[in-house]
Amino acid sequence: MLQCVFLLSDSGEVMVEKQMTAHRVDRAICGWFWEYVLAHAAGDPSKVVVSPTHYLFQVYRHGVTFLACTQVEMPPLMAIEFLSRVADVLTDYLGDLNEDIIKDNFVIVYQILDEMMDNGFPLTTEPNILKEMIAQPNIVSKMLNVVTGKSSAIGNKLPDATASFVHWRTTVVKDASNEAYVSIVEELDACVNREGVLVKCEACGDIVVNSSLPGVPELTLSFANPTIINDVRFHPCVRFRPWESSQILSFVPPDGQFKLMSYRVKKLKTTPIYVKPQLSSDLGNCRVNVMVGIRNDPGKPIDSITVQFQLPPLIASADLTANHGTVDILADQTCLWTIGHIPKDKAPSLSGNLRLEEGLAHLHVFPTFQVKFRIMGVALSGLQIDRLEVKNTPSAPYKGFRAQTQAGRYEVRS
Amino acid sequence: MAPTAPSPAKSASPSQPSGKSEVSDLKQQLRQLAGSRAPDADDQRRDVFKRVISCMTAGIDVSAAFGEMVLCSATSDVVLKKMCYLYVGVHARAHPDLALLTINFLQRDCRDQDPTIRGLALRSLCSLRVPNLVEYLVAPLTTGLKDPSAYVRMVASVGAAKLYHISTTTCLDADLPAALKALMLSDSDAQVVANCLHSLLEIWTLEAANSEAAAREIETLYSKPVVFYLLNRIKEFSEWAQCHVLELASKFLPSDNNEIFDIMNLLEDRLQHANGAVVLATIKVFLHLTMSMTDVHQQVYERIKAPLLTLVGAGSPEQSYSVLCHLHLLVMRAPMLFSSDYKSFYCQFSDPSYVKKLKLEMLTAIANESNTYEIVTELCEYAGNVDVPIARESIRAVGKIALQQYDVNAIVDRLLQFLEMDKDYVTAETLVLVKDLLRKYPQWSHDCIAVVGNISSQNIQEPKGKAALIWMLGEYSQDMHDAPYILESLVDNWDEEQSPEVRLHLLTAVMKCFFKRPPETQKALGATLAAGLADTHQDVHDRALFYYRLLQHDPAVAERVVNPPKQAVSVFADTQSSEIKDRIFDEFNSLSVVYQKPSYMFTDKEHRGTFEYSEDLTNLTVGVEAPETVISAQRYQENDNDLLLSTSDKEDNVTRASNGSSTSTYNAPPDLTGPSSLLSSQTPTETALINPGGPTYSAQTNFSLDDLLGLGVPDTPAPPSPPALTLNSKPVLDPGTFQKKWGQLALSLSQECSLSPQGAASLMNPQSLIRHMQSNYIQCIASGGQPPNYKFFFYGQKDGATAFYLVECIVNTASAKAQLKIKADDGTTAQSFSTLFQSALSKFGLS
Repeated sequence: MLQCVFLLSDSGEVMVEKQMTAHRVDRAICGWFWEYVLAHAAGDPSKVVVSPTHYLFQVYRHGVTFLACTQVEMPPLMAIEFLSRVADVLTDYLGDLNEDIIKDNFVIVYQILDEMMDNGFPLTTEPNILKEMIAQPNIVSKMLNVVTGKSSAIGNKLPDATASFVHWRTTVVKDASNEAYVSIVEELDACVNREGVLVKCEACGDIVVNSSLPGVPELTLSFANPTIINDVRFHPCVRFRPWESSQILSFVPPDGQFKLMSYRVKKLKTTPIYVKPQLSSDLGNCRVNVMVGIRNDPGKPIDSITVQFQLPPLIASADLTANHGTVDILADQTCLWTIGHIPKDKAPSLSGNLRLEEGLAHLHVFPTFQVKFRIMGVALSGLQIDRLEVKNTPSAPYKGFRAQTQAGRYEVRS
Repeated sequence: MAPTAPSPAKSASPSQPSGKSEVSDLKQQLRQLAGSRAPDADDQRRDVFKRVISCMTAGIDVSAAFGEMVLCSATSDVVLKKMCYLYVGVHARAHPDLALLTINFLQRDCRDQDPTIRGLALRSLCSLRVPNLVEYLVAPLTTGLKDPSAYVRMVASVGAAKLYHISTTTCLDADLPAALKALMLSDSDAQVVANCLHSLLEIWTLEAANSEAAAREIETLYSKPVVFYLLNRIKEFSEWAQCHVLELASKFLPSDNNEIFDIMNLLEDRLQHANGAVVLATIKVFLHLTMSMTDVHQQVYERIKAPLLTLVGAGSPEQSYSVLCHLHLLVMRAPMLFSSDYKSFYCQFSDPSYVKKLKLEMLTAIANESNTYEIVTELCEYAGNVDVPIARESIRAVGKIALQQYDVNAIVDRLLQFLEMDKDYVTAETLVLVKDLLRKYPQWSHDCIAVVGNISSQNIQEPKGKAALIWMLGEYSQDMHDAPYILESLVDNWDEEQSPEVRLHLLTAVMKCFFKRPPETQKALGATLAAGLADTHQDVHDRALFYYRLLQHDPAVAERVVNPPKQAVSVFADTQSSEIKDRIFDEFNSLSVVYQKPSYMFTDKEHRGTFEYSEDLTNLTVGVEAPETVISAQRYQENDNDLLLSTSDKEDNVTRASNGSSTSTYNAPPDLTGPSSLLSSQTPTETALINPGGPTYSAQTNFSLDDLLGLGVPDTPAPPSPPALTLNSKPVLDPGTFQKKWGQLALSLSQECSLSPQGAASLMNPQSLIRHMQSNYIQCIASGGQPPNYKFFFYGQKDGATAFYLVECIVNTASAKAQLKIKADDGTTAQSFSTLFQSALSKFGLS
């Protein structure tokens, strides 16, 4: 059980303090914590910290630190998952998450925290249900308040969905536009070693559904090739049996956007683009040459390609140019090569010289190149949606499908 | 700026000064608004309330406005009510008299027709936490538990636990636990059921220390009907409630294998839940259920592998770290099962270094014949990493793999390549490893020495690397052509050598070299011994003197001492004992895993009595009167200990949380005020000094002094009547020392004895036995287990002596038998201690 939750700003200021149990946590703990964070500013501070009086869990999102304190043994992941959920819900509620927004809406934040946790145990964390109890502070409701002169920012209704069987969905969805969109969003993680061998390549994907359907709709989603998936995780709405027997996703969706399923596809054979760095050093000079090109054409344009690497320490000066795109040396000694599209007529390459510091003949520390790209319209793992059936709706809804792959952690060592 | 509600700063009038005058200004405004019936009064109130709460959040003391806030609280606006409840909840405890004013409107709200308001009011009422107002709580709670709205029942079921914390007797007298239990087994709303479960667990766990009835109630919660009832409804619960039900299930002891398989089939799909906490809780259930079935246990590992690996890859850095810690634990237990997934543990450039470190350890553990080549290739790439600590770790990892494997040929080549990288820290780390390798595989000496001989000792700055090089120079001086001359040049620079470790190694190496190549080394030896004798470091001086006298006595003997025939080391000592690893495993899905320490090492000992909420933490009087003298005495010792411990230990010691037996939710010690006062600017030293030291203090100093001098104090001041062993009533032993002693001492006695049937029956939780043994001057240092098996570690100390008796006691309540293993500093009295222990044990439950 969590005894207290604090929201801290980027300067360590307490923005929200919510005591959960009878044991009051002195806010001096935040001061202690902030000193700890500053002391570990160089390395990453650990996520579960022992202070002299409490165990602290922290989650950091967009300049806001969510800090929870406890004195009793509890599953660490539960605390961290809960804090992440608080961050998600607040983002959902307030449209974005940052210091100013939290400060402007602290009353809402208090109300939400009050419903999300009671006596140190998580209670209602489904955004749909929370929204019935605490109204969202958006322009529309503000306008309505001005026009109608009604000042209450809350639906005076009882949160009936807490009693409904499908607890992620409100019982009555109003203003449904009768649409359902399914998108596959994949991230490709790959690692190429010094010899140019692809040592690891896997895709982590999410099936994101955005549904705006009236009533209690029944959806079934099937894939053309579900066997390629290695491991899956489901939103609570997914029924397990149909998946187990025939790899079909059967569910009653919550209203709005949600992550229906996450999956992992291991052991992909190839990456869409190649990045070949060459570094050779001699007599205090280091020649750098990086080539980028298409290895395996996915059939759709690859865009937003960037290659980024940390300049090795002990470099006196760097002179790097590219025949395509722009090269920037950022303040933290990172070299960012923005390529964008790969042109048809030439292969982009970056080349130049690094002058080593006086007295150093060879380079000993080799940079790792981090590659980013994005491909719209293709899921690189090859996963394909076969069909989406919607039942139990008054009229046939509009259905839309999308796919997208981007580089997650694609690293090339040199 | 986002398009959001008006900010408090803006709504404040521009001429608004901060601090005290602001509060009085707010009071003024509230007073004006209190009776106002103007149509926009609610809006105005809302603005003022917002400012009050914003001041409160900023840390300004706004408690002065309490009366005015209460006056303004008569409103129908829900948001206003919520803000008011929040304010009242924070300040009521400081103003119990004024809080009485709020009771009236809260009670009225509890009867409101809107269930949301009923629920909110009830929650706030329970959160006031003013002891003299509890009488107003019982009626709304009792009605709340029967409310038609699930929302109100949900609030009421948590409220019952809150009431218990405010006033135990009121809660029990109103028979709320029984009502909760009935509700838990019948309510249609899953969240109500879950909240009842929390509250019941909380109440009964705390109550179990005092009453056997409560202990029996806990038993029923862990019984088959309740556990199966909850598991069958698991899909209705919210994800958090599922975690709690799963936690309950992990403590359930199934009667046969069918039950185990039933549960596992039921929970199979929980492994695919999007919430990592649910997945881990499920894994814990699976692991615990199958503990006794080796083959199924293996299958469970296979089954949980994929979900864990996905969780590591998918979540935020915070989530993936805690999952990784759990994975680390499993990998260390069964490295074979993960050997094919080695690629999942490859370090990514963007991983934070604490993640990389865990991954390196796992890569080391899972290396076997089939994957060593790939893993070592990967690790070698990290040696050129920008992150120097990780580069070092990966070199060490390569070395560890080399020490695990039989086929070290390729790895040795790799290590020798590191030496060619010509980077000081890489060379230093590698030298240490080459030294270890040579100790295990002397047959490689030829290849290694050829490379090591080329390294100039000038280039190595780090003491460890330098010491390793010197060791090799001494050990293999017969194979290294210029070893005596290198050593000689090192001796010439004796005065510049900072590290005593290096100087010690140099002394020994020159000695070894002398016996192998006397003519070339004689001069250097003389210089070394002279330099060593003049050295200011005690160890160096003593060793030089020792060698000098040894040589004087008989050079042949000296050779036998310095250069004995050596055997290859087969196994290097493991740093963490398997017993500790087992313990951490028992505490799967808890903080122990993240810290990589069993809970008893970082939380307090569990026999300190139950935790009572200190009503006022700012109160600095540390000497709170504890009900039992034993406990208060222990607290003094604890503080004494603090003085002796290093800072980090102190932190561990001061940081209190409950012990690993997660059934007990509030099991922190009564001296919580101590550590909290630490925060309020009082130093631990002062805290300790406030406590009257008394006899314990002097006993403590005596003991540590004896220990420091390493005197095996003979029992001269032994008790006058030797046969009757009397125990020191307040022995002091910290867990670290206990563990060390337990490892060092030989087993003196191993016996089985029996408990009285009443004793066995009343042993519902470890605390009761611990308290009983305490009254017989036998202290418990750690305990654990689930019915019917409990395991305890006890210790006692002979009165007036330093000798300790350590006992491992495994009690089976079903058979009323106890297995004893006794280890003693003084083996001769072990038998009489055993008699004493057994008689104490047999009396348990009779008194």
